[in-house]
Amino acid sequence: MNAKRLIMTGNEAIARGAYEGGVTVGTAYPGTPSTEILENLALYEEVDCNWSPNEKTALEVAIGASMEGARVLAAMKHVGVNVAADPLLTLSYTGVGGGLVLVSADDPGMHSSQNEQDNRHYARFAKIPLLEPSDSQEAKDYVIAALEISEKFDTPVILRSTTRISHSRSTVIPGERKEHEVKGFKKNPAKYVMLPGFARLRHPLVEERLLALQEEAEKSPLNRIEQGSKEIGIVCSGVAYQYAREALPEASFLKLGFSHPLPKRKVREFAAMVEQIIVIEELDPFFEEQLLAMHLDVPVRGKELFGLLGELGAEIIREKILDQKVEPITVRDEIPGRPPVMCPGCSHRGVFYTLKKLKLNVMGDIGCYTLGALPPLESIDSCICMGASIGLALGMAKAKHDSAENTVAVIGDSTFLHSGITPLLDAVYNKAPITVMILDNSTTAMTGHQQHPGTGISLQGEPTPRVDLESLCSALGVKRVAEIDAFDLKELRGTIKDELEAKEPSVIIVRRPCVFLQSTFEAPPYVDREACTGCGTCIKLGCPALSLKEEKAKINNTICTSCGLCEQLCRFDAIKPAEEKAGDKIV
Amino acid sequence: MEKIKEPYNQIIAGVGGQGNILASALAGIAATKAGFNVVVGETYGASQRGGSVMSHVRLSREKTYGPLVPSGQADLIVAFEPLEALRVASKYANASTVIIVNPAPVYPVSVALKEASYPEIEDILKGLKSLAGDVFTVNATSIAREVATPKVQNIVMINAMSHYRGQPVQRSYYNDALEEFLQGAGLEQKEANKKAFLTYLELEQYN
Repeated sequence: MNAKRLIMTGNEAIARGAYEGGVTVGTAYPGTPSTEILENLALYEEVDCNWSPNEKTALEVAIGASMEGARVLAAMKHVGVNVAADPLLTLSYTGVGGGLVLVSADDPGMHSSQNEQDNRHYARFAKIPLLEPSDSQEAKDYVIAALEISEKFDTPVILRSTTRISHSRSTVIPGERKEHEVKGFKKNPAKYVMLPGFARLRHPLVEERLLALQEEAEKSPLNRIEQGSKEIGIVCSGVAYQYAREALPEASFLKLGFSHPLPKRKVREFAAMVEQIIVIEELDPFFEEQLLAMHLDVPVRGKELFGLLGELGAEIIREKILDQKVEPITVRDEIPGRPPVMCPGCSHRGVFYTLKKLKLNVMGDIGCYTLGALPPLESIDSCICMGASIGLALGMAKAKHDSAENTVAVIGDSTFLHSGITPLLDAVYNKAPITVMILDNSTTAMTGHQQHPGTGISLQGEPTPRVDLESLCSALGVKRVAEIDAFDLKELRGTIKDELEAKEPSVIIVRRPCVFLQSTFEAPPYVDREACTGCGTCIKLGCPALSLKEEKAKINNTICTSCGLCEQLCRFDAIKPAEEKAGDKIV
Repeated sequence: MEKIKEPYNQIIAGVGGQGNILASALAGIAATKAGFNVVVGETYGASQRGGSVMSHVRLSREKTYGPLVPSGQADLIVAFEPLEALRVASKYANASTVIIVNPAPVYPVSVALKEASYPEIEDILKGLKSLAGDVFTVNATSIAREVATPKVQNIVMINAMSHYRGQPVQRSYYNDALEEFLQGAGLEQKEANKKAFLTYLELEQYN
C-alpha cells in the first residue's frame, strides 16, 4: 500500500489544496459546514490565516491580498456569501492579482442553517467560474485548479462544497506545495477603481471572459463523460455524482466538475450518446433549466422526479428511476425524538428561562442560543440572519404598537461583532428605546469555539487587542449599558425589567464563558430527598443533568457542572451545595 | 486479503457529546490503514449539542461510494445508546445486520419533562433483535468508569467493534489508528484511552 494515502474530510482536503497551490493568505468567518477549512489551513505555517469579524471583511481582506499578488482562499458558509455578496459582484469586474478562491459551503437539508439556498446561482450572478468537487480528493485538486483558472482568466472562482463534501472523510493522496511568488501591488486604476467610467469598460471584459471560460470548461478534464448504457444519461455534479453512480452503475454520466459556465458543446455531445437525460442535482434546477433552454434532441427531466428540497441519496435515485423503494421498518409507533439541547452548565439557560417567565417577545439571532426557541425554554420568537435581532426590535419599536414595549433583542458576542454593531447604531441614531441583550460567552460557540475580536486571542492562539463591548456600546451612543452575570437569576430578572422601562436604547451585557472553555468544575450539588417535593420546577430549566426519579429531582453527577441555576430555583431548599454534605459519599 | 461484502456499511450512532465523531474518525483511519477505500459521512453542527448523531463508515476494495448508507443496507451498527440504536436500526437495518449496543440510556430532555416516555431497555433490545440479525450488548459506560472515566465509553465501544470478527478490519489497525490519534494528547488522556481500548471485553449476545 502506498504510505501516502490519507483519509481527510472535505474541509481538510480544501485546506490541503490551498497549501499545495501556494496560497499564502486565508480568511474566513466561522460557519457550519465551512469552519474547519480555515482551522486546518492555519496549521500550515506558510499560510497567514485570520478570522475576520464577518464574511464581507473576510472577502475584502482576500481581495487586498490578491491585489498584492498573493494566492488567497476565503471560506464561508452559503449564507455568509450573502454577507460578502457586495464585494463579490464587483470583484468579478476588477478581477484578481494572485489567484483568489471563494469557498462556499452549502447546507442542503439545513443540518445547521436557517435556509438551504443554492449558491451555484452566485457563480451565474457574478459571471464567474464554479467548481464542484464530489469527494475529498477532488476537493483538494479542484482548489489547485481554481487558483490556476483564477489567474489565467483574471477572475475570482467559486469552489462550492456542501455539508456532505465538507464533513465526509475519504481518501486523499497529498502532493507537494508549489510556492507562488508575491510580486506586490501595481497601480492600475482602470482595473481596480470601479468608478462608473472604468466599470463600463470592465463589464464587456466580464462578458468576453465568460465566453472564454466556457471554452475552457469544454476542454477541462474536470468535466467528463463516462460512457455506459445509452438508455439513461445522467448529468450531475458534487456529491450527487456519488449517489447516482451507486444507484445507477450501468448508466452514462456527464460529470460536471467545472460546472459554470456550462460546457454546452460537451452537453450536446453527451445528449447525442443517450436516449434521455436525467439531471440529478440537489436543490435548484441549475443545470436542468440551462439544458432545457438548449432544446436538446432528447428529453430532459430532473426536478419532476426529485423535487427542490433537501439532500439526495442513492435510495431516492433508485426509487424514482428504478422504482425500487425501501420501506422503513417501525417496531414502535414512536421513538422519542432527541433534538439538540443547551449543554449542562450553558450560560444561556438562565437567560431564556427568565425571558420565558417574563413573557417577553424575544428577537433572536444566530448561535447556540437559538436553541432557546425549543422546549422547554421556548422563548425565542424570531431567527432570520446574523445581526437581525437588533434591527427587528428597532422595527417593532417603530411600528408603535404596545407589544413592542415587551420586546428584547438577544444576540451573542461573536454575532454582535459580526453584524450587530450597525443596527445598534441605527437604534441610537433613530432614538428607539429598544433593549438589547448581548450574551457574551467569550467565544463563537456554535461552530466549535472559534476566537473573535472580543476574545483577545487570534486564530493562531496569540494574544491580540480585545474589543471591550461596554466601551463599544458607549461609543455608539448607548447611555445605559449594564453588565451582569448569566448565572444570577435574580439580577437577570431585575435588570431586564428595569431596562425595558427605560425610554432610551439600552444594552445588557450578560457575561459567563461558555461551559466548554472551562475544564474543572466544583462538586455538583445534591438533592435532599426529604425536602424535595417533586414539583418539577428545576426540570423546566431543560438541563440534561436533571431528571425526576421516583417523583424526586435527580442530578446526573457525571455531566453536572455546578452552575447553580437549579439551586436558585428550588423553593424548598432541596438542592444543596456539595459542601453541606461534606464527608458523605455523593451518590 | 479476505473477500468482503462490497461495500461494507458500518454506522456509528449515539448522542452528541458521546464522542461519535472521534470514534468514526478512528474507524476510518483504521480501515484506511488496512488498505480499504473508505468514505465516512457525518452530520454535525447544531446536532453536536445533545442531539442524535450518526456517522456512516463505508469500506470497499473495488469502487468508491458516496458518504451515505442507503436505507436498509447497514452491515454493522455500533450504538453508544440504546434508543439511538433503535432509531438507526429502524431505518438502516436488515435481517443480517449486526448490532453492538451500549445499553446505558441517555434520556432526552422530553423524557425528563414527561412529554415522552423512554422505552424499557428490554423492549429496545427485543426491537433490535426483531429488526436485525445478531445483537450484542457491551456495558461500555460502566466499563469506561471502572477503567478510567465514563468519557472513554466511545473507545470501549471501538474496542468492542474491533473484537467483532465479522467486520473486515483487523484489531491491530484500530490500535495503530488510536496511537496516531493520541500523539500530542496529555498523559492522562492517553492512559485513559489506551485502557479503554485494551481492556478485556466479552460481547454478550442478546437472544
